[in-house]
Amino acid sequence: MIETNNAVLHASHQVAEAATHAAAESSHSITHMMMYLVIQLAIIIIVAKIGGYLAQRFLKMPSVLGELLSGMVIGPYALGGKISLPVIGVLFTETHGFAASAELYGIATLASIILLFLAGLETDLAAFLRYSVVGSVVGLGGLLSAFIIGDLIAVLWPNDIHSFMDPAALFLGVISVATSVGITARILAEKRKMASAEGVTILAGAVFDDVFGIVALAIVMGMAKVSLSGGEVNWGEIGIIAAKAVGFFVVVTALGLIFARKITSAIKQFKSKEMIVAICFGLAMLLAGLAEMAGLAMIIGAYIMGLALSRTDLAHEIESNMQGIYNILVPIFFCVMGMMVDFSAMGAVWKFGLVYSVLAIGSKVLGCGLPAWAMRFNSRGALRIGLGMLPRGEVALIVAGIGLAAGIIDQGIFGVAIMMTVITTLLAPPLLVKSFEGGSGLRKEMAGGSEDTESIELSFPSRDITEFLLNRFIRALRAEEFYVHNLHHGKPTYQVRKDDIMFVLIEEGGTLRINTPTDHQNLVRLMLTEELLSLSDLLDATQKMEDLQGMGNDLLAGMFS
Amino acid sequence: MNLKKVLSKESIVARLKAETKPAVIEELVDAIAWTGKIKNRDAALQAVLNREDKMSTGMQNGIAIPHGKTDAVEELLIAIAIKPDGVDFDAMDGQPCKIFIMTLSPENHVGPHIQFLAEISKVLGNETLREKLIQATTAEEILKILTA
Repeated sequence: MIETNNAVLHASHQVAEAATHAAAESSHSITHMMMYLVIQLAIIIIVAKIGGYLAQRFLKMPSVLGELLSGMVIGPYALGGKISLPVIGVLFTETHGFAASAELYGIATLASIILLFLAGLETDLAAFLRYSVVGSVVGLGGLLSAFIIGDLIAVLWPNDIHSFMDPAALFLGVISVATSVGITARILAEKRKMASAEGVTILAGAVFDDVFGIVALAIVMGMAKVSLSGGEVNWGEIGIIAAKAVGFFVVVTALGLIFARKITSAIKQFKSKEMIVAICFGLAMLLAGLAEMAGLAMIIGAYIMGLALSRTDLAHEIESNMQGIYNILVPIFFCVMGMMVDFSAMGAVWKFGLVYSVLAIGSKVLGCGLPAWAMRFNSRGALRIGLGMLPRGEVALIVAGIGLAAGIIDQGIFGVAIMMTVITTLLAPPLLVKSFEGGSGLRKEMAGGSEDTESIELSFPSRDITEFLLNRFIRALRAEEFYVHNLHHGKPTYQVRKDDIMFVLIEEGGTLRINTPTDHQNLVRLMLTEELLSLSDLLDATQKMEDLQGMGNDLLAGMFS
Repeated sequence: MNLKKVLSKESIVARLKAETKPAVIEELVDAIAWTGKIKNRDAALQAVLNREDKMSTGMQNGIAIPHGKTDAVEELLIAIAIKPDGVDFDAMDGQPCKIFIMTLSPENHVGPHIQFLAEISKVLGNETLREKLIQATTAEEILKILTA
């Protein structure tokens, strides 16, 4: 009996010892893994941010391009695979044939959710609906031609893709769909063409493009999943998948829009801005997870949550509070996407990449330009619209990343997608600037009215006063329920939108310039006058202030005693 | 902006009695006050007068748009009045004002307040419509012209 007890005690002691040992080992390995991750992240953040800055500062290109290129440089297939550090070993290495570790990819996925959540938040649904006719025709034209041509080139090119329904072909179609309108918007603002007929059509078309690009992704994801699990995708099934994807999008978006105000007023009970923003983001992640559970992509759920909240008064609050986390995490996403480009895999597909990129340009220019030409624009206007819809960006990269992670596309095709994104982003600005030389883009019989814009300029003796008035004006616009969107670049430029009203604010040194359609100039003039009066109030109040010299003396008195 | 949704005949004065600028403003504030929607009539009046002190809201072509922001109201309130003979309102073109559009809006509330003024000023850009308004003799008629 005693022997048995001893044996039991001995065994239990051994088990406890083994458990302690295992725990110590696993804790060491988790600590090591986290240390590796943190060092990787540190390098990615610093290099991506510097790359983004250089692209913006010297190439006058969006920062995403620099972030992407930095990723290519430090990735496992370039420098990152050659640099070895003490303790952690090779800086960036392939894990199970994938350029990023699961932990790193997890952080990039979180960044893509933030990116699409904010994209949804910034969508001006009302303006989209208002311009839905011309915008949707242009957007749909671009979407169909980009999708079909993107898919067909994969089928026609001599490779192992032989069917239009091949998941890889479908992905190449979807990747070339989504326009990244940020680049175009910046050029339109600089050229003072944001409120022109072409500008408005491009922006409305791009919203259409975003929404339906996401729906197209949902459908393709569904088809790819059936196909990957060994099933045959027939037209009946495509119908079911499409209905499911569109149904999910429409139903969840409708529910979101209907209940958004109720949900936000419930969240507002917490009376804390931080709580509100955090809970809304939590909801976006929840919907992202649910979308994935429903067989769609996570970014679809995040985008829908953003779209639903975009119509609430919290939209701006969430957007500005998430800006900090956005600025840090989103460059990680683009950098990780760049890291995935395997140059050796590109060797075999670069010709295909070039043809795919050229056709991606042609499909948008013709796909958007022809419907525009058929509706109200002349060939000059149609070309401008086509070129405006040309740049692809973040959504194309996210879709490509999803395809790569799901094993639907390989490293080579992924590289092709990055190549197309870089080429279209690089080509769009100079071509668009050139296309805006010359006269009206509207046909003679259509010209007049909608393209008339007014430029209102106010000059002040100092930049501080201009900034003060600009900030007051922006605050007043938000109080009037306008969406004021900072176009993020060198000189402060804002796009102001509400329903069918759209104008641009530009601050240049001591001058504030507002480019507005003539139809809405009364609003701008009235609002500016009110804010100018508030400036005079401030000046009066300053003059009434007690002796400033005395105040200064009081503040500094005793400093060196 | 749909003017039909924000305008009502209750606060439309087809024939204004006042003969001076302060009296016009007071009569317009009272045209809203009688609906019971102003918490403090004097504070509302003061807000409009203060705004007017900074810069006259007498525009061109006989139109004036006196307005004020005050916590004495909880929503955008509008009064419209016509004075065919006109009143000196320190207008930009020096001409007497015949058509008056007044708005009172809450101090820190979000809403399309100036947007309303911009919208109605666009409508009043039409000379024929202005003439019709001045000829109109009832609140119903004025409402119909503005929302047609």
